[in-house]
Amino acid sequence: MITRCYNQFIGRCIVIVGVLGILLVGTNTLLAGDSVSRPKVSAELYNHFDKNLRGKTVAFVPVLMGIPLTEAWAKVIKTQCDTLGMKFVLRDPHADPGAATQAISSLIIEKPDVIVVQNDNMQLLAKLIKKAEKAGIYVIQINLGSRYTSSAYVGVDWYNLGQMMAEDICKTSGTGSGKSGKVAIVQGMTTSSANIEQLQGALSVFQKHPEIKIVSNQAANWDPNKARDITATVLKQHPDLSAIYSFWGIMALGSGHAVKEAGLQDKVLVYASGGGSQTICENIETGIINRYWNYNAPLQGHDVMTAVKVVLQSGLKPGQLKITLYSPLELIIKENADNACWKLPAK
Amino acid sequence: MASNIRPIIFLKTAATKPTQEQLVFLITAIFLMFFAIFLDGFATIDNFITLARNISVLGILGVGMAIVVIARGLDLSQVSVMAVSTAWALTHMNDGVSLGLAIALGLGMALVVGLMNGFLIAFLEMPALFATLASGIFVFGVVRTWLLGGDLIFHVPKDAEEFLFLGQGTLGGIPIPILVFALVALLSHLFLSRTSYGRFIYAHGDNAEAASLTGIAVRPLTILEYTLCAFIGYLAGLVMVASVANVDTRIINSTLIFDTILVVVLGGVSLIGGRGSILSVIAGTALIGTLLNGMTLMDFTNEVQNIIKGLVLLCAILIDNRLHPRDEETAQQGDL
Repeated sequence: MITRCYNQFIGRCIVIVGVLGILLVGTNTLLAGDSVSRPKVSAELYNHFDKNLRGKTVAFVPVLMGIPLTEAWAKVIKTQCDTLGMKFVLRDPHADPGAATQAISSLIIEKPDVIVVQNDNMQLLAKLIKKAEKAGIYVIQINLGSRYTSSAYVGVDWYNLGQMMAEDICKTSGTGSGKSGKVAIVQGMTTSSANIEQLQGALSVFQKHPEIKIVSNQAANWDPNKARDITATVLKQHPDLSAIYSFWGIMALGSGHAVKEAGLQDKVLVYASGGGSQTICENIETGIINRYWNYNAPLQGHDVMTAVKVVLQSGLKPGQLKITLYSPLELIIKENADNACWKLPAK
Repeated sequence: MASNIRPIIFLKTAATKPTQEQLVFLITAIFLMFFAIFLDGFATIDNFITLARNISVLGILGVGMAIVVIARGLDLSQVSVMAVSTAWALTHMNDGVSLGLAIALGLGMALVVGLMNGFLIAFLEMPALFATLASGIFVFGVVRTWLLGGDLIFHVPKDAEEFLFLGQGTLGGIPIPILVFALVALLSHLFLSRTSYGRFIYAHGDNAEAASLTGIAVRPLTILEYTLCAFIGYLAGLVMVASVANVDTRIINSTLIFDTILVVVLGGVSLIGGRGSILSVIAGTALIGTLLNGMTLMDFTNEVQNIIKGLVLLCAILIDNRLHPRDEETAQQGDL
């Protein structure tokens, strides 16, 4: 009896040791051997991703480099392209419309897989973008769109931004605020989509608020000096101005300094929007700009790459898909300006 | 035939012929009266100060430009030089260099380009129009790529607040930019009208060959003219930067350089050379300033403002042609 039990015990021990041994050897092989590969599902995903992206070329045509917005986009897009084994090409037209058309025309011949383009105005590149898509190149338009809707648009919903800012102005300067309700609008370039849609969005709100009076509505062509001159003149005629609605943060610095020079800081609110670079936050802290809608340029660059990944993996031809990735908007005021902005590392 | 000639003879011989700057001052006065009657808030001391303040940068640039135009030249690189040299000064301020040294470095850059322009025109005998057009583009490209790290917008650092006084401060209620404009205009006027070098500049513009034959060293004089133009342009740049605490170098793509030529020619500094004075620049600047101020107050769109500005320039060239008709002398020298 005892012997049987003993034999059984020994038998079980041998089985357990055997199983453990097999497991151990197996695990070892699993850990060290070459034959181990990605689990099937993961491999399927990865192969699809890698096959569609690796070696592909992304060409970026901004309006011009050298401003925080385009520098941030280019940096993010390039970094991600490098990581994914994609080629990044930059063509800087230096704000020259002729150079921009040439850049797109020559890209149509060079055939990159994706063109990311920022339109200086709505008409200039519309036909060329259509031509590029017909030639089989996906076109992603960033922030400043054209009359042609291509495979993807990444950027601000300008009409909505105009409405948001106008509604805020109605709150701070309208009925019950104790202010005059006089508003000066300083537009950028009247032909750009950011300008046209934003103005329409803002006016759609102001129309419903008769207490808001637009006493000046002029374009400063994105130039802070021109914005300064216009604002200084308007402030002399309307020292009781409630708010200045500027279409771009850097241009708003001109208006802000005119307000400061007139000694009207905190009485006249300066509104603006932009990509949220560090200098802007410093100016919000010093009260040059009071209320700023940030569309976060590095995140927009990230969104561009999301759109690139989507269109390249979609299996659809350019023109067959329309993706819109609107940028989230964040309001920056003095109280949260401390950490809300970004700074590119020095070159 | 004879009836066609008569008005010209009349203009040439009339003893009471008004100068162009008098005409421009008259037109300015008419506009001023018109705006004062029809525009709310125009005829106030405050608004006139704003008006003068807004045109002071343009006026300072105009004074610099006038010096080369009187000498029958042209400096299309002025705005470009102003933009890059101030941007360079700002990068140094941001790098922690002392304010004085940073401003001096920017000045150095402006002077070097002025010297280079003068050298190209005087010694290599390149036409001023092309030499300065090319040098402006060249300098902007070189400085932006190698010295400014490719950036376009530069901000005044927080710890250089005292620098902003130049653009935003006041002295006895008068904004500093107006005082800078007044000082630059006064000194340039004295230089041009009271010193021999100033008179040589007129002689150079009137007839370079004759000036050379009378013993004026025309080539070094040309270098002096372009260096002065760049120097005054840099002063305008400092005032502009201090006004908005940043410089957007894309200003070289704006119409500023043409606006500068506009105020110079408008006031009666003829492109033919040797004519006009600093008072002409003040007249031209006053007219453009009045127009801009009035049109801003009337809330005209940019398109309409440009149409009016273009019309005024056309009228100025027309008046210039009538007052300084092409004659044998200009035919020999050729037109600019």
